[in-house]
Amino acid sequence: MKIEHDGNNLRVSDIAELNALNATTFRDEVRAALPLEPGTIEIDLSQTQFVDSSGLGALFSLYRAAHGGHNGVTMRLLNPKPPIQQLFELTQLHQLFEICCR
Amino acid sequence: MAGPPSTPEHGLTSRITFRCDLGEARAAARALRDFLVTLGLDETELFNCELCLTEACNNAVQHASPTGVHAPVVAAVSAHGAEIELTVTDHTPGFALATRAGPLSPDHDHGRGLFIIQSLMDEVSYFRGSRENTLVMRLARRAHPLPPPLPASAASDATGRQLAECRQTIGAMARELCFRSESLAAIFRCCSELGRTTDLAGFSQRLLGDLLHLAAADWFVLRLNSADGSRLAVFATSTAKLGGAPLPLAPRDASPGSAELAAAQSGRELEFATRLASPAVEPLCAAGPEATGRVHPLLFDEMLVGTLAVGHSTAGSPFSALQVEMIRTIAEFLAIHVVSARHQDEQLRAQLVAHELEIARRIQRALLPRALPQPPPFSLAASWESARQVGGDFYDALPLGEQSLLLVVADVMGNGVPAAMFATITRSLLRALAGRGHGPANLLRQLNELLYEELSAVGMFVTVQLVLVDLVRRQLVAASAGHCPILVAGGAAAGVQTLCPTGLPLGIMPDSTYCQQTLALADPGTLLLYTDGLTEAQNPAGEMFGQERLAEWLRDNFPLPGADQLRDRLSAEIGRFRDGAALHDDQAFLILAGGSVASAAPAPIPGSPDAAPIPSDAHATALHAGSPALAATD
Repeated sequence: MKIEHDGNNLRVSDIAELNALNATTFRDEVRAALPLEPGTIEIDLSQTQFVDSSGLGALFSLYRAAHGGHNGVTMRLLNPKPPIQQLFELTQLHQLFEICCR
Repeated sequence: MAGPPSTPEHGLTSRITFRCDLGEARAAARALRDFLVTLGLDETELFNCELCLTEACNNAVQHASPTGVHAPVVAAVSAHGAEIELTVTDHTPGFALATRAGPLSPDHDHGRGLFIIQSLMDEVSYFRGSRENTLVMRLARRAHPLPPPLPASAASDATGRQLAECRQTIGAMARELCFRSESLAAIFRCCSELGRTTDLAGFSQRLLGDLLHLAAADWFVLRLNSADGSRLAVFATSTAKLGGAPLPLAPRDASPGSAELAAAQSGRELEFATRLASPAVEPLCAAGPEATGRVHPLLFDEMLVGTLAVGHSTAGSPFSALQVEMIRTIAEFLAIHVVSARHQDEQLRAQLVAHELEIARRIQRALLPRALPQPPPFSLAASWESARQVGGDFYDALPLGEQSLLLVVADVMGNGVPAAMFATITRSLLRALAGRGHGPANLLRQLNELLYEELSAVGMFVTVQLVLVDLVRRQLVAASAGHCPILVAGGAAAGVQTLCPTGLPLGIMPDSTYCQQTLALADPGTLLLYTDGLTEAQNPAGEMFGQERLAEWLRDNFPLPGADQLRDRLSAEIGRFRDGAALHDDQAFLILAGGSVASAAPAPIPGSPDAAPIPSDAHATALHAGSPALAATD
C-alpha cells in the first residue's frame, strides 16, 4: 500500500485487497496520515482485486474520520473493477464517495 | 429455498477444510475461486462467489463458539448444471437468517456480510444443527455453463459435454441417494433397536433426535392420541419447555385453536408460524415467538395415532422438499410403530388375563367335591356352570357322623384369582369347623370372624347358605349369610316353601350374628339350594328366570324319584329359558331329594366325600354335563 501527500490532499494506492485481514491496518494507517485540514482524499482501487465487508467497513469509518469536524472534504474512489463498483452500489457506499473511472 | 447441503462428487466439487483463522479463511476462498475459474464463470460471478465465500468463512471464524474454535471449518463449491452451490459449515452458536433486509444504511456495520450474501446469491439457506451449522448459497449462472475441463486426451467437445452431463446427473443422483440413505440409515438403526427395547418413549426420543439432525430442525413435539380418542397428550419433546397439557380433541366442526389440533382434525400436514398464533391456544408458542415449522398427523389406516410437530426456532428457514419428505417418512414410521407397540401391549394384557382365568378355573374345579354322598333314602345331585368370567361359586356336601349331612352353597362376590382363592379358604374353613358340633348359624358367625379382616381388606364378601340335614328325623336347620332363599317342596301343603333366614354376607361386619330356621322335610320331600346365577339367568329378551319361576318348576316336578333326574330337568329348563343367551354369572345348585317314594337305587354312605370311592357314574351323579373335569379335592 502506498500513501502520498500533496498539501492537504491524500492519495492511497497499490492496494491488492481490502479484507478482514488488512482492513484494520488500512483504516488506521490512512487515518494517521490524514492532513489536519483534508481537502481531497483519493483511494486508488485500480490494483484492487478484492473487497469484502470488512474492507467496506474500513472505508465507511475512514469517511467518518475525514468528515469529523471538517466540511468540504472530497472523497474519491478511483477505478474500482466492475464487480467492486457493483458492491459499492449495493452497499450505498457510492452515496458517500465519488466514484471515478479514468 | 435451497435444500440441504449437497454431497460433493468428484470432478465438479472442490472442498477445503481449514483451521479457525481469518488468514486461512481468506486463502480457502481464494482457492475455491481458482476452482470456479475452471468452470468458466465470468468476472462478476467469480468475484461474487469469492466475496460470499469469504463473508461466510469470516463469520465462521469470527463467531466460532469456545469449543468451535478447535473444530475445522469446511467450505465447498460445487457446480450442478447451471447452478453453483457454495457451502460453509461452521461451529458457531448459529444465527438467525432473516428474510432479506432492505438496503443497509451506509454506516451500518453489523450484518453487512449476510446482507451482501443475501443480495448476491439467488438462494440462501442456513441449516442449524446441534454441533454445526451449514450455510448453503446458490447462484444460477447467467452464462451457459461450460463443460468442465477435460484431460487433453479426451474426445471431441460433444463427447465432453455428454460426459459432463452424465457426471452431473450421476452427481445429482448420488446426492439424492446420500440424503435418502442417511434417512434410511436412521430408520434402520431404530428398527434394529426395536427388537431390543419395549420402551416406546425412549425409542421415539432417539428417532426424533435423529430427525432433528437430518432435517436441520431445532425442536420437535410428539403427541399421541389417548386410548379413548379424546385428547392428544405430549409423548416426547426435544426440550422440556415444549411439554404442555393434553389438547382435547374437539368435534370436527369446532375451529381448532392450535396447529397440532388442526392437523389432527384435518388429517393433513400443515405449516405454521408462532408469530401468527396466540400463546393462549397455541402450545407451540413455547418454541419461541418467531418459531416456524410443520405439523404432520400420525395416521394408521386413517385412524389418528398422534401428531408430530417439527420446526425451527427462528423464521425464514422453511424445510426443503427433501426434508419435508424425511419428516413425513418418520411420521409414517412412528405411526406404525406406536400402533404395533400398543397392539403388543394389548396382546400381553390379554395373555395375562387368560392366564389368570385359567388359574382361577383350576382352583374352582378343585373346589367341587369329586362325589356327593348318597345316604339312603336320599339322593343328592348338583350342577355347576361357569360363566366366562370366573367367579367363586361352589357347593359342598359334608356328612357329619352317621345321621347328619351339611349342605353348602356359596358365592364369593368378585372375579378371577382372588375370588377363587377366597372360595378355597371358605370351603376349607367350613370343612374344618363343620365337624365340631356347631349349628349352621354358629358356623356362619365363626366363618365371618375368621374371614372378615381379609375380605374387607380387599372389598370382597361371600354369601353362604348352610343347611344341616338330620337324615333320621328328616329335619332341616338352615342359616344364611346374605344368600338366596332355599326352596323346599313336599308335605301337607303340597306347595313349595321358601326358607330365608336373615344374615349379612361374610366380610360385611366384623361381629355379624346369624339366625337359623328349622323345618321338617316331608316324605317325600325335595330341597333346592342355589346361587343367584340360576335365578338371574336371562333369556335373549333380557328377562330373568326368577325365583317364582323356579318355585313353580319345583312344584310342577314334585315328586320325582331321584335328585339326578331333577337336576337334569332343571338344567334343561334353564337351558330352554336362556335360549342361547350367554351366561352372565356362574350358576350352581344342589338338590336333595328323599323319601320312601323318591328313594331310588341305594348307594353307599361314604364316611366323607374325600374317602368316598368314586362311583362309576360319578360324573353324572355329582356334576352336570358341561361342568369341568373332576379334580381332586383337598
